[in-house]
Amino acid sequence: MNKSLREKLESTFKDIRVTVLEENRIAVTAESHGVLAVLRFLKDAGFDHLALLSAVDWIEDNCFELCFILTCYMQSDDEVTGRQRLHIILKTKIPRGKPQFETITRIFPNAEPYEREIYELFGIKFEGHKRLTPLFLERNYDIPPFRKDFDTRKYVEEVFDKIPFVESKDK
Amino acid sequence: MDRNQITKWLKAPAKMANKYSLHAIYFCTGCGIIEVPPVITARWDAERFGVIPVATPRQANLFLITGYVSVKTLRAIIRTYEQMPEPKYTVGFGSCPINGGMYWDSYNTIKHLDKYIPIDGWIAGCMPRPEAIFIAVTHLWTLIDKEMANGYMRYKKNYKSYRRNQEMLLGKLEWPPLYPVSDEPRGNEQ
Repeated sequence: MNKSLREKLESTFKDIRVTVLEENRIAVTAESHGVLAVLRFLKDAGFDHLALLSAVDWIEDNCFELCFILTCYMQSDDEVTGRQRLHIILKTKIPRGKPQFETITRIFPNAEPYEREIYELFGIKFEGHKRLTPLFLERNYDIPPFRKDFDTRKYVEEVFDKIPFVESKDK
Repeated sequence: MDRNQITKWLKAPAKMANKYSLHAIYFCTGCGIIEVPPVITARWDAERFGVIPVATPRQANLFLITGYVSVKTLRAIIRTYEQMPEPKYTVGFGSCPINGGMYWDSYNTIKHLDKYIPIDGWIAGCMPRPEAIFIAVTHLWTLIDKEMANGYMRYKKNYKSYRRNQEMLLGKLEWPPLYPVSDEPRGNEQ
């Protein structure tokens, strides 16, 4: 399964790189414009569960990396045959200057809260998403707080430390 | 009953009755709440100390703030605290409400809880053991005896400053002030 899927992926898509990390875990690196096609292909191949969508801020490389972790419901951990659930990590890089990506909610509807979270914490805009409204945060930040150039210590000094104590501490 | 306490009972029966029946609001913030279920159930059994969890703030007089407080939770904490009947006691549990703890440079957790509501006692540690809750309860008894657990009175006295701090962080609060805030311009607008 592992080998044939790799061959299938490499023969179907030209500009992707497939690495086998472990026996049951493979990483696929794709260009950002081809990700949706790869996702559709993988969903048709049986990977019908998007386990996680997250982002990484590579500030030295000046890019964001989106990670999609796919697995499947049906192929379970089997103690008898020793077959294990296959995980696919699909990675793609998008430029930091233009943080935009196309929504994948049409393929995996459960990506909706993940995309809202990433939009809120990293500032990556997902085009076509129906409801990019705040999910967790209550206040507006100049820089989205999960970006590496967000200075948390400076923010704490500016916001939380400015609030005075009501009663004196030495009591 | 302890014979030494008879005079105390005769002097201030309401206070003594209040002291030995602390009703803790079952409010879960952060990770510290994981210590509370064993404390109130068979393993440590907080009812030995007269502490029993209740479901709503209207029936509670002990508020345990267990763990870090995010800005969104602070809003709920203030509303819960203001709904509790007096006398009410608050205890900060864990290092995070004291000074931020391991979230000292986090972008979304408040660092000093006593800037926003008055606190009667702290339990330091990350995490404190369940026994620490009982030590805190016995300390709270001493404080109630000495009239030093007066957080709710301090809240009334310094309400303007507390409300100002709350508004500094949370913006405009959607509930009216608990006590009159007289010389503030936005009180007149409403």
